[in-house]
Amino acid sequence: MKKITHFSMDHPVLAIAITLLITLLFLFQFPKARIDTDPENMLEADQPERVFYDQVKTDFGIRDMIVLGITDEGGIFRVETLKRIARITDEILKLDGVVVEDVISFSTTDNVTSEDGVLRVNRIMESPPETERDAEIIRAGIYDNPLFVEKIVSKDGRTAALYIPIERKDMSYRISGEIDSLVRKELGKGQTYHIAGLPVAEDTFGVEMFFQMGILAPLTGFVIFLLMFLLFRKGSLLISPMLTAMFSVVWGMGALIGAGFTVHIMSSMIPIFLMPIAVLDSVHILSEFHDRYPTNRDRKRTLLAVYDELYTPMLYTSLTSAVGFASLALADIPPVRVFGIFVAFGILVAWLLTMTFVPASIMLIREEKLIARVATGLRKTGRLNGVLARLGEFSFARRRTVITGAIFLLAAGVWGLTRIVVNDNPVKWFNENHKIRIADRVMNENFGGTYMAYLTVEGSENEVIKRPEVMAYIDSLQEYLEAMDVVGKTSSVADIVGRVGHVLDVDERPGGRVPETREEIGQYLFLFLMSGDPDDLDNVVDYDYRKANIWVQMKRGDNRDMESVERSVHEFTRVNPAPGGIDIRWSGLTHINRVWQELMVKGMMRAVLGGFAVVFVLMMILLRSPVLALISMMPLTFAIVLSYGLLGFIGKDYDMPVAVCSALALGLSIDFAIHFIQRFRRKFMETGDLAATNGYVFREPARAITRNAFVIIFGFLPLMLADLTPYVTVGAFFAMLMAFSTLTTLMLLPALIGSVGFRFIRTDRHVQGNTVNDS
Amino acid sequence: MNTHKRMKTARPAESSAAGRIRRGLFLATALVMIVPLSRPGAIAQDRLSGGEIVKKSHERFYYAGNDIRAKVTMNLISKSGKERTRELTMLRLNTGEGGEQKYYMYFHRPADVREITFMVWKYPGKNDDRWIFMPAIKLVRRIAADDRNSSFVGSDFTYEEISGREVSEDTHTLKGTEALNGHPAYRVESVPVDEKGAAYGRKISWIDTATFLPMKEEYYDKRGSLMKVFTADSIEAVQGKATITRRTMANVQNGHRTVVTFAEVQYNIGLKEDIFSERYLRTAPREWVR
Repeated sequence: MKKITHFSMDHPVLAIAITLLITLLFLFQFPKARIDTDPENMLEADQPERVFYDQVKTDFGIRDMIVLGITDEGGIFRVETLKRIARITDEILKLDGVVVEDVISFSTTDNVTSEDGVLRVNRIMESPPETERDAEIIRAGIYDNPLFVEKIVSKDGRTAALYIPIERKDMSYRISGEIDSLVRKELGKGQTYHIAGLPVAEDTFGVEMFFQMGILAPLTGFVIFLLMFLLFRKGSLLISPMLTAMFSVVWGMGALIGAGFTVHIMSSMIPIFLMPIAVLDSVHILSEFHDRYPTNRDRKRTLLAVYDELYTPMLYTSLTSAVGFASLALADIPPVRVFGIFVAFGILVAWLLTMTFVPASIMLIREEKLIARVATGLRKTGRLNGVLARLGEFSFARRRTVITGAIFLLAAGVWGLTRIVVNDNPVKWFNENHKIRIADRVMNENFGGTYMAYLTVEGSENEVIKRPEVMAYIDSLQEYLEAMDVVGKTSSVADIVGRVGHVLDVDERPGGRVPETREEIGQYLFLFLMSGDPDDLDNVVDYDYRKANIWVQMKRGDNRDMESVERSVHEFTRVNPAPGGIDIRWSGLTHINRVWQELMVKGMMRAVLGGFAVVFVLMMILLRSPVLALISMMPLTFAIVLSYGLLGFIGKDYDMPVAVCSALALGLSIDFAIHFIQRFRRKFMETGDLAATNGYVFREPARAITRNAFVIIFGFLPLMLADLTPYVTVGAFFAMLMAFSTLTTLMLLPALIGSVGFRFIRTDRHVQGNTVNDS
Repeated sequence: MNTHKRMKTARPAESSAAGRIRRGLFLATALVMIVPLSRPGAIAQDRLSGGEIVKKSHERFYYAGNDIRAKVTMNLISKSGKERTRELTMLRLNTGEGGEQKYYMYFHRPADVREITFMVWKYPGKNDDRWIFMPAIKLVRRIAADDRNSSFVGSDFTYEEISGREVSEDTHTLKGTEALNGHPAYRVESVPVDEKGAAYGRKISWIDTATFLPMKEEYYDKRGSLMKVFTADSIEAVQGKATITRRTMANVQNGHRTVVTFAEVQYNIGLKEDIFSERYLRTAPREWVR
């Protein structure tokens, strides 16, 4: 491999041309990119829960829905406001892609009422009111029907909701945009509106993702460039590492797109993960070059020395980082697997480019220019040198104190780990004050809940749902569910039967609202169908009356909430078993989210442990000692335990982005340990003097580590500006992981090596490929 | 019991190309039989306007005979091909000069709705009155509903499409004469006079120039996209009257469709108006309902 580096130094123009050519090839894949924001894709297409949910969607004609909430501070049941709502509804019905017949609104939904023994089937609002009395009649009609309250109107009468099913999910961004502009035109003072619903959230997410990738990632790159300039002050030297980072991203994303994978929320983070890792290697090279060049004053000789010194640590850091991410391939979640594999690929690309492209570009810089720039920059590092030297002395001399302190910290971290709450909610991936979050809050305050889950009741033969005991069981399940705080509203075929009974004036029957004979139930449903549309029952019962679907609307969509609801229902069914032959089962997006999250937590845990083991083995090979290998795992261990422990103390949920960051820790934290120990070991083998070796590693190697930490901790600050919380979390976590692993490397490692580790470095062994003793 | 057999044969003919051809042939032969009967109408065709064609079509389609009795089977077919069947006996009597009619229906199947009876008094120009008798609770209830929007017993037909929409509620334009299944038909476009007063935005009908029966109708929603398609699938001459014995209404937007088959059709059997009353809702008239 070193030969390639030498070749690149001898033929820099050719090496650069080849790099550019390959980069172009990968770049050409970009236009083929397909965005995927569907949370269902977190599960394999053939995952049983997903298959079942798909079946439920077909059985019950469930479509993706946009929910429009219209609020009037003075109440919506006023002539002028109702007229506006009617006009808005008319316009919405004309939009392309709206499933007109399934729109639920005042002017499209029927209300069945009873008046002097006559059943009246009418649109809730047949025509807009002309007088306040008309408006009052409409109001009274709605509140008389329990199916409508908290469904299409809020309890306080200030907000109305329209449910707008759409033909295909990918139309939602366009349709919600059209709704947005026509509602904006219509509404006046004191009137506001909110657009909610999962498809809107998903589509918006896709658009924001492009923003994150297109603007934030390059911005991050630019900030990193500025920081490096601050450190090295040599613009021309910095171009090649920056290009290396960019090219690795292009190769990685290009390969992903070219291989036919969709760009998911996970893979959209690839550039942001690749950048720091790609920069790491270059900073080591630059830092070393920068420190050695002034005495050497020959770019080729300096480069040869630098690469000789750094070849092994760089190979191992790249391998371990790649392994860390590749370990994600063990996860059960397809987007996570794709993410892991292509980040690993990108890391190896970054390594290859650092070995070829970087030296080739440095060779192209004229010697005089380098001398003029680099040779004069020495004193700049003076203060950092002093601090590092003192830190080195302290850690080495007071090793007992350092080790004791570390043990206490670790214990505190472990305690924090026990307090971690595993929880996620994709709506919370948007910033607190994003309009989607606001809509989510408003709609959940006023209505039965926007988070949908379905409880399917399935019999073994047709027509079972019409059996009175099955109907009564559905009713009791609903009653139980609605008693829960997080559940807003439930609806089922039993509600419809109950409502028909109510309007027929036969509900004074003792023993509840469910009829006692199958004929009666059958005839109620028949009557209901006679007065509505052919598909009115589809959402709650299948065509054969073999399966029924209870719609469970929840006010909060956290996985934790879903989990507690599921647990309670499980307990209920244990105490009150379903009638013979009846199975009940959960589905719906809120349930699906809970399922993949569970898979993710377990998968990540397994991936990280697996990665940990592989890295440990690699370290044993590199350092030729289990004890040294164990010491090298410390920065990684501390970074993970302390970062996640802190999470536990703060009370931040362990969610998808947080889970993914653990793989990053694996990649980044080991980097410092390798550079530190490997170079300590080499120097110690050479000199056999512990204190002198410690002094040595706290010069160049420690400088490179500190510079790296500096670049990464501050380079990712732009991520804090993101509208999507996963990016914010990742940015914050980068900083935290870096800070903890830097401190562990610079304090705990010298203490541990100074106490025990040095015994495992064999000084008598002949050192091959002696380094240049020029420091 | 032979209804069951009929249902089965009706289904496969629905979608296959062979079925379509067979149906076409059948249609053609049926039409040849009927054409001589309707000669007088055919002669006057050149001077008919769109409105006149539709009016004539309504007379032939909705008002044929003074009364009618038929065994009706409705197959409600979901997008995925699942079926619900309704089987009923239907009686209809034209009661007034102004176009008033009375319908009586007795349900035989499905089992749990057996003995449900249903009555409609149709008034041109305003909503029908409907009554239902539910045997499980021995209760008669009047139902007041909008004919335009409500489905007929859960099928893809609205009440309006079962009993006929007032001719004057639309503006009818004759768009030409063209062959449909090899037979000439008027192509008439009907647009509601008041947009709010209709469930559709536009309707195109192909009305047979000889029988004046609607052979095909396309309903477009208010956005202009195709919503429902009506087809007359088989036509037989009953007592000299061309009668659509099988028709389909397919909702192309949601994939649901309804196939209606008429059997044992008899015209002018001498129905009396007193049958169409609450008393007979509770106790079906044995003479007509078996």
